[in-house]
Amino acid sequence: MEDKLLVLRCKRGSKDALGRIYEKYKKDLLVLAMALLNDASAAEDVVHDVFLAFAQAVEKFRLTGSLKGFLLTCVANRARNASKAKHRQDVSLDSAEAVDSRSDDPPCSIICNEQLGQLSRAMAQLPYEQREVVMLHFQAGMTFKTIAKSLDVSVNTAKSRYRYGLDKLRLLLDHEVEE
Amino acid sequence: MKPEDRIKGLISTSDVVTGPETDSRILGDALEHLGELRQKKTPSAPPEPNIWRIIMKSRITKLAAAAVVMIACVIGLSLWRTTGSGIALADVLARIEKVNAYRYQWFRTGEDPNKPYSFLRRATALSSQEYGTKTTMEELDPNGGWSTFQEGYRSPDNKTAIVIWPKQKKYRRIEFDDGTAERMWEVSSNDPRTFLKRILACKYESMGRATIDGIEVEGFQTTDPNFFYFYIGDRQIGDVNQIDVKVWVDAKTRLPVRYDYMGDKRNRTHFVMQDFQWDVPVDAADFEPVIPDDYTGTVVKLPDVTEETAIQGLKLLVELLGKYPENIFDESATFLRLVEKSETPAAMRLTEEIKGLTDEQINKKLADFLMPIRALGRFYGLLQWDKKDPAYYGKTVTPKDTDKVLLQWKVSDSEYRVIYGDLHAETVTPEKLAELEATLPK
Repeated sequence: MEDKLLVLRCKRGSKDALGRIYEKYKKDLLVLAMALLNDASAAEDVVHDVFLAFAQAVEKFRLTGSLKGFLLTCVANRARNASKAKHRQDVSLDSAEAVDSRSDDPPCSIICNEQLGQLSRAMAQLPYEQREVVMLHFQAGMTFKTIAKSLDVSVNTAKSRYRYGLDKLRLLLDHEVEE
Repeated sequence: MKPEDRIKGLISTSDVVTGPETDSRILGDALEHLGELRQKKTPSAPPEPNIWRIIMKSRITKLAAAAVVMIACVIGLSLWRTTGSGIALADVLARIEKVNAYRYQWFRTGEDPNKPYSFLRRATALSSQEYGTKTTMEELDPNGGWSTFQEGYRSPDNKTAIVIWPKQKKYRRIEFDDGTAERMWEVSSNDPRTFLKRILACKYESMGRATIDGIEVEGFQTTDPNFFYFYIGDRQIGDVNQIDVKVWVDAKTRLPVRYDYMGDKRNRTHFVMQDFQWDVPVDAADFEPVIPDDYTGTVVKLPDVTEETAIQGLKLLVELLGKYPENIFDESATFLRLVEKSETPAAMRLTEEIKGLTDEQINKKLADFLMPIRALGRFYGLLQWDKKDPAYYGKTVTPKDTDKVLLQWKVSDSEYRVIYGDLHAETVTPEKLAELEATLPK
């Protein structure tokens, strides 16, 4: 109910309400973005874009389910696009033997704890599709049916991505402990 | 442990920490967009010039002001950083509170990036637990030198303040109600005790050891925007998130040596408190204002701020304006502008009565008359200070609306207080409030 009130106030232009939504969910959103992208600067950009898009569309926005779930899905969608873009950029940079362009990136001040570092390192070893399903299921609490719908795949595909992802994560985390 | 539980545990214990700069980078554009949305929805009157700023249009004066600040910084503060801690800020506050009387200097300079002026003021303050506080404030004169701008006196219980303006030969005595006196004191930024309390209420960290004017000090810093919360209410969130507040404490006496506040791009204020003299002898006569006979004065007695007085303020506004104003305010100038445009019998009568009077005569005449409206403005301000999340819908709600929310605020997690368009009030659940807000016209 609090979220509905906050959204209503955002529709009326309340900066305070948007600030509260951000404070309430920033941790979840940034953790998801970090786990999916393993790049603090890119994670920051994704959450920035989600809030900007939310502010731009808030007048027409209708909250039908959970606001947290909605925002997490937005982060996952944007992270997917960012991941694809990064992949394209990496390929083009490799081919041009370009220098590391990230030296000019703005300083990033997201500080991740040890667990998040461990999680995002392990996640980075997984194909993106598997990361996404694991995080949406565990962190956003989404059912496979909902995940499948949002990714436009079958429920069985979502479940198998989850299973493969989980198996690989277990191996990776075991390996990290042994090291 | 099942692999699922292990990964779930890892996700649930994953955490990120963001600083104010990161929050600003992430949320800044969205807030700006929302601000534009609100401006589109609620065209507001152009901001009033701030009477606390002296306009200095001359480039030379601006440069002089900047130079004075730079010199003060260079001479006053030379430091080297080392590691090491050991001073607890709470202990520093306890020590200050034991001091009977102290004297200190402060200076404040400010600049508005949108306007071609800046100001530079400095003051000497003498504060006593027994007699109150006296502050003599000077400002940089565009023609050279410094001139006294005002003298301020505050009673020990903070319920009375007297301000004297020698140049204008004027003074004002203000009597605060209990609630306002207490809150005004809480947010005062010109006192080493309240300043330190606000740092303590924020996230802060030690900056290690340094020297200031040959004294070994330890520095503490906060960039937590909550330091400024009380000044801005909910309207400016996101605009003051780049503050930088520091306090330097004498490593031996454990009393403050210097405070330093730097505002963000929007509120480019630099404020410094320094030259502290602790435990100075004082006399009651030091705190008694001397007002020459030829000075003219006004007495402002602020009424109790309650829901009832707020409703009286809303009633009076409707009587004068024929509708609710778009925003709640407590400034006479805004009110008078609206009254001049109004054609209600009450407004026309009032306009007629004040026609031809000087500003001072108008202020005197309206002092009591405007009180309920001021009380309404302060009532709203106090709700913001107390973080009760108030919202006002005067733009779309009319006095005939018996079921539309005009003003609402949070009482507790399960209760909101609502004043409707016809000014009856009731306490409702958050669910009911959401329903009521959903019916408001856009």
